[in-house]
Amino acid sequence: MTEDLENRVKPLGATGLQVALSDPELMPEGGDVQAIASGWRLAVREFANNKVAVLGVGILVFFVLFCFLGPLFYHTNQSLTQPLNANLQPGQTSPINGQTYPLGTDEHGFDELGRIMLGGQTALEVGFFAALISIVIGTLYGAVSGLSGRLIDGVMMRFVDIVYSIPFLFIVLVLATKFSATVLEISLLFGFFSWLVPARLMRGEVLTLRERDFVSAARVMGSGRSRLVYRHLIPNALSVVIVNVTFLVADSILALAYLGFLGFGLQYPTASWGDMLGNADNYISNGQWWLVYPVGFCLVAVVMACNLVGDGLRDALDVRLRRR
Amino acid sequence: MAADGKAGALEVTNLSTHIELSRSTVQAVGNVDLAIEPGKTLGLVGESGCGKSMLGLSILGLLPAGGKIIDGSVKLDGRELVGLPDPELQKLRGNEVSMIFQDSQSSLNPTKKIGEQVAEPVRLHRGASRKEARDRALEVLELVGLPRPKERLDQYPHHLSGGLRQRVMIAVALACEPKVLLADEPTTALDVTIQAQILALLDDLEDRLGMATLLVTHDMGVVAGRAHRISVMYAGRIVETASTQDVFGAMRHPYTQALLGSIPRLDQDNTKALISIRGLPPDLADPPAGCRFAPRCAFATDKCRAEEPPLTGRDPEHLFACWHPVDGPAEAPKVFVQGTSPAAAAARTDGHLLEIVDAVREYPVTAGAVLQRKVNSVKAVSGVSLHVDAGEALGLVGESGCGKTTLGKLIVGVEKPDAGRIALAGREVFRMRGRGLRRARRDLQMMFQDPYASLDPRMRVQTILREPLVIQNMGSRKEQDAKIRQLLDEVGLPENALERYPHEFSGGQRQRIALARALMLEPKVIVADEPVSALDVSIRSQVLNLMKRLQA
Amino acid sequence: MLGYIIRRILVAIVITIGIAAITFELLHLISGSPVHEVLGRGARPAQIAAWNKQHGYDRPFIAQLLTYLGHLVVLNFGYSYKQGQSVAQLFKEYAGRSLYLSGSALVLSLLIAIPLGIAQAVKRNTIGDYAMTTLTFVLYAMPPFFLGIILIDAFALHLHIFPPLVPSSQTSTGAALTHPRDYALPILTLTAVNIASFSRYMRSSALDNLSQDYIRLARAKGLSRRAMLYRHLLRNACLPMITLVGLSIPDLLAGNLLVEVLFNIQGLGLLFFNALQNGDYPILLAYTVLGGILTVLGNLMADIALTVADPRVRI
Repeated sequence: MTEDLENRVKPLGATGLQVALSDPELMPEGGDVQAIASGWRLAVREFANNKVAVLGVGILVFFVLFCFLGPLFYHTNQSLTQPLNANLQPGQTSPINGQTYPLGTDEHGFDELGRIMLGGQTALEVGFFAALISIVIGTLYGAVSGLSGRLIDGVMMRFVDIVYSIPFLFIVLVLATKFSATVLEISLLFGFFSWLVPARLMRGEVLTLRERDFVSAARVMGSGRSRLVYRHLIPNALSVVIVNVTFLVADSILALAYLGFLGFGLQYPTASWGDMLGNADNYISNGQWWLVYPVGFCLVAVVMACNLVGDGLRDALDVRLRRR
Repeated sequence: MAADGKAGALEVTNLSTHIELSRSTVQAVGNVDLAIEPGKTLGLVGESGCGKSMLGLSILGLLPAGGKIIDGSVKLDGRELVGLPDPELQKLRGNEVSMIFQDSQSSLNPTKKIGEQVAEPVRLHRGASRKEARDRALEVLELVGLPRPKERLDQYPHHLSGGLRQRVMIAVALACEPKVLLADEPTTALDVTIQAQILALLDDLEDRLGMATLLVTHDMGVVAGRAHRISVMYAGRIVETASTQDVFGAMRHPYTQALLGSIPRLDQDNTKALISIRGLPPDLADPPAGCRFAPRCAFATDKCRAEEPPLTGRDPEHLFACWHPVDGPAEAPKVFVQGTSPAAAAARTDGHLLEIVDAVREYPVTAGAVLQRKVNSVKAVSGVSLHVDAGEALGLVGESGCGKTTLGKLIVGVEKPDAGRIALAGREVFRMRGRGLRRARRDLQMMFQDPYASLDPRMRVQTILREPLVIQNMGSRKEQDAKIRQLLDEVGLPENALERYPHEFSGGQRQRIALARALMLEPKVIVADEPVSALDVSIRSQVLNLMKRLQA
Repeated sequence: MLGYIIRRILVAIVITIGIAAITFELLHLISGSPVHEVLGRGARPAQIAAWNKQHGYDRPFIAQLLTYLGHLVVLNFGYSYKQGQSVAQLFKEYAGRSLYLSGSALVLSLLIAIPLGIAQAVKRNTIGDYAMTTLTFVLYAMPPFFLGIILIDAFALHLHIFPPLVPSSQTSTGAALTHPRDYALPILTLTAVNIASFSRYMRSSALDNLSQDYIRLARAKGLSRRAMLYRHLLRNACLPMITLVGLSIPDLLAGNLLVEVLFNIQGLGLLFFNALQNGDYPILLAYTVLGGILTVLGNLMADIALTVADPRVRI
């Protein structure tokens, strides 16, 4: 049988022995390329498989819609105090207008549900802006530091170490005694003290990537510095940054809550969820649970959702890089 | 299937192991038979992913999460291991059957002293006191030839070099004088000279202790001198088992034949190609019906694709699993032209194409508590001179740390020499600046060792291949497209590869892309830094053949 | 190794100076001089100028900064006009209770989080793991004061097991120790929050280590799962916890602000809060600088502890 086969086999080119009997559609020498998926699609699919992370996205979307679109459909009075309406329990009828409020009213007679929606707007806005400011400052700073020579890098990072050692909550509280009137002010305040971690992360990524072979390869081809930075370094470092953004949003919302509880956050009527919890211990002592638990629940839900999304993103992007 | 008469120290019959992943089940090991007698070594040879490591772990019962032995039996000295409850297996592990792993760096606990780690199995299995175990540890360290063993007892793993750490691992495995030793790629991470030492050590110990050894490796050279018998594994199955002599000189299975033919030899005829095997090994989550080697086999018939051949043979000492076995080594086709090609002859000029004279590169070593002073320098390259002519291939060989990578970087200009002259076609390229330098870079390109790191993971293949042309401003978009397609074809990759990202390719395929990229600028010189060491043996020959063909 | 420690200490000193300088600068922006506290709002410009000159508040910024730094070196944290005491004195009075609160919470949370994290890693993807992970996730997202309120509502107001606030009759640490029930809820709150973050790190560290080869080798030696966990995994997985403990040091002395305010514990955190409300800037400045110094100290101690615990780090 062997002789038979040997007659039928013909050598073909430099690629070694070639099958002449099997199907005419030749496998390319390098072997078939398995279609896995493009990079981003793979990450998205990985993310989508992570049910918990998708849940997080769902929660966030819900709250954004709830807080920003809610008031358009659910009109409430949030500016005129109505002492006679004050402190109504959910479902309790108002003595003035015979209405019932799904989540009751607070001490000024404002509808609690409406307050939660507005409070959420502020919280989400601050969370988003603060994270944005941090990322912008942090990535630029980190990239510059990572690409610079050792001396400049050392000085820049030393500065980061110093500011990072100042306890965030304390310095923010102190400065908030003066600078906390508007959403923008608070966002800037948070942003100015939160960019340190993204800066460190970015610098770390840049330092690692600098040594990678594909960067060396580009240099060997004659690539200039700016091309290296824009086409190779930044796109690859982005994934780390993206993950960090979600955690920054969560942290900023929490920080705003802390400020609010202590009484140094935003004031009426732009009060955020944290501010609404400022009197929580009193409310609880008076048994006014509806002024505490719903708000708290929303706060925890949003922060948790951000963390879930962040974790999911981290896992999804990791898979892509780690594959094979 | 042991030879009649002697009781095998280790007998594996029809062993099958599956690993359940979230979306698929990998059939890692299938219907494996093997047997080792006391005092003998069985070499288990195969490429990455063929299941040889899983086999070893199956024997010990240490499969990863999701792994299960679904069929078969493993007998240690006649005692059945499959199905044994874990506490019973624990008594045997490290005691009667031990395992050595490939990476000694990560296999030793970095925060425990060496003495403690070697003593641990002794304390566990023999109930020895601290002192007794320590004495035994010292004994074993001496046995494995560790210099200054008394000092080492109190040192930590990172204080030792790779070769010494591997000896420590062997000591750990032998502390309780096991009957069977499973050595999983024990020398792969080591330099050639150290490899030889470790293998000699294993030989010696085997004789002295009468152990049965399973030597798992992908390197045929390792088993050539050391194993009495060899089993060849492919895609989870044993395809051939025979004495070492027979496997090398009178093999029957086509895979064995191709595997041995793909290894370059010194006395090889330069004009012959290395035998290579088309394609890639099968995905074990979805293995082909019938013979698993059929899709890549030159002799496959319909019967091969339909039915899986059993492991048989007229001579019980030589078994193989093939419907159409071959007879001994193959004759490789003559494909390369004798002497230099006309293109190369035309390119030859007076003087050498690449000339290096007394190149020097040093790195400072700093020390000092507060102020970092330069106390010494690491002389990576000290006065190296060599030259390469057009059409010529110069091999630069050396062990790790000898400076060859640094020299490669000096040649392509990733680093600058501290002294000496590096000239391409008579001109010192790296003394030039700006546009002149960039233009000159076209002639010097590089292929890197690690196929996973040399391609930007965020760029599609098309962009990767286009990049050199874009940087050098060569050609219109249409011309670039044409050239990309041409080179892609020459390196043997399908056109749909253009739209894909690097992580969708195997290691060998990525090296092809890297090679294509290096060739885009039609350089006069290519520096290839260990381009195939990260690849499997049969893939290596593919890439090497390709490089040789394209050099002309 | 000694050289390494010396270098780290020098760096720490540089950073501390930087912290003090930057904080001083920032607070200077808000309140240049405490003159209004002392002389009242109605003081005339001439009086203000005289007082400032007398106390050195009219000198250039750098001069003031250097004086301040000089004071710090001798542990003079400034003087609170509002309270009529030196800041250092105030710190001493309030520190004990903060230490008790934060210290107990730290110890308790470590004792629980370490085995919890390991258990989660080992029993990965089981119901138990999912349940614990979910719980720690929720706790992690919860502001400490909210958790405290829930606990107050449940245990103090409804079940009447613990008091909702720490009675202000507790003016000394000794009293705190003899009345553990008073501090039960605040300690519980802090412990729960700490466990949430510690066990997350512990789980991830344990997972990292479990996939390492030396764990496989330990089993190949014949160790049972349990023995492997105790003898090999535990120590290596705990190494990152050293860093976490170092990061918790500032809390030990600077107090846990939110919990102290909620439960009315007369600790340093409450001191800070009152100073915020009163605009008592010397306290605010001193407190923030102290927090910074403790952070640096905590990092330094963690680094040194790591070089001792992890033989790989020794240089």
